[in-house]
Amino acid sequence: MPINSDQDIVVARQKGRALATELGFPPGDATLIATAISELARNIVSYARKGHITLQKIDGLNREGLSVIASDQGPGITDIRQAMRDGFSTSGSLGMGLPGVRRLMDEFEIKSQPGRGTTVVVKKWKQ
Amino acid sequence: MKMATERKTKAEPRFEDEYACQLREYAAGSGEAALGKAYELGRRALTEGKSLMEIASFHHEALQGLIQGQQDDKRREELLQASSDFLAECLSPYEMAQRGFQDAVKALRQLNETLEEEIKRIAYAVHDEAGQLLVAVHLALAEVARELPKPQKDQVGQIEGLLNQVEKHLRRYSHELRPTILDDLGWLPAIRFLAEGVSKRADLPIHIEATFSERLPGTNETTLYRIVQEALTNAVKHAKPSNIWVRAWKENFALCCSIRDDGAGFDSRLLRIPSGRKGLGLIAMQERVSAIGGTLQIESCPGRGTEISIRLPLEDENANSRLARG
Repeated sequence: MPINSDQDIVVARQKGRALATELGFPPGDATLIATAISELARNIVSYARKGHITLQKIDGLNREGLSVIASDQGPGITDIRQAMRDGFSTSGSLGMGLPGVRRLMDEFEIKSQPGRGTTVVVKKWKQ
Repeated sequence: MKMATERKTKAEPRFEDEYACQLREYAAGSGEAALGKAYELGRRALTEGKSLMEIASFHHEALQGLIQGQQDDKRREELLQASSDFLAECLSPYEMAQRGFQDAVKALRQLNETLEEEIKRIAYAVHDEAGQLLVAVHLALAEVARELPKPQKDQVGQIEGLLNQVEKHLRRYSHELRPTILDDLGWLPAIRFLAEGVSKRADLPIHIEATFSERLPGTNETTLYRIVQEALTNAVKHAKPSNIWVRAWKENFALCCSIRDDGAGFDSRLLRIPSGRKGLGLIAMQERVSAIGGTLQIESCPGRGTEISIRLPLEDENANSRLARG
């Protein structure tokens, strides 16, 4: 789904929460997934203005999970290591932004090319 | 370019009012939009430095306002459920931050451990490797001296005397870097050994007073030793004191230690300004102490000396004696 505005963020959160609930994630995990979606969507709106978020059910060998793919064609990130370090998010608070998302989810992958955009894929598995 | 999305301070309503307002919206059925706002509020609270206790109290007030006068039990039940969902959403940024802090503390501990390993390695290199080289130099000199006439032989003898001093100093430094005493005999003998060295080099008395001497868990012993070491180094380097006092005592499950000098001092209030510059040594001391859950205080006044006090949490006695053997 497209992410261009605060309204889109709300829709993405809602769909993420609905999918998490449908898959049987406990409410606390659904909240954390919604939070991760918010952080990712927020990054899209702040840095690239627009982008996409895709939610998917994923299947492991013996478990189910949920993946969130956030992509944009924005300015991209020149220094991913720096972006993943605490304190470099717009808010400046410890643990917010991308490093925060990494801690909320089980898997985290980021690809970015300056001038071409950024894609973040995060996964959470049902315990 | 970063956008200043969060800088709308002037028009922004008070946090608690906004919280109560959004909670009402959510209870009235506005769904995800209000939950999204709850998360934004949590994020804002975190950036503004609001404590969890404050949020709990704002939540309590908002909740009271919400259910006041509500007679219908079923509706009350719904409202309670809605407010607990809303609170969880608002706290989720704190969950992120909390995980961040846990990671940071873990990283700090690891850093200190790596540092200790590195220091051990350097201490070994200084003591053993440099020591062996010096032995080789002694042998080579003796060889040369055999062939020389008396006056030159005496000169070589003087060189050997100097080399002996170098060796003595190297040994001393390597022991202070990572005293085997610390591992073998514990914190108090190690600190005494350290103080003796500093006292001799700086030519000033260091008074040590400890109300207990038993062994402590390994990290506590190392931390204590490193803090005293840094504090003594700082005092001698910057304060030019005539005396230094080191005191250690136990108090309510805490291990306390203070290092006080009667030197030049400085205005320690400057340290409390967030933007104020702190020396690297001071930051390192503070981080070392907070990595194991302790606190560090510095009191100083120009002309009235400096006192550094630390408190380290102690686990129960049984845990201590068990750990001390490890």
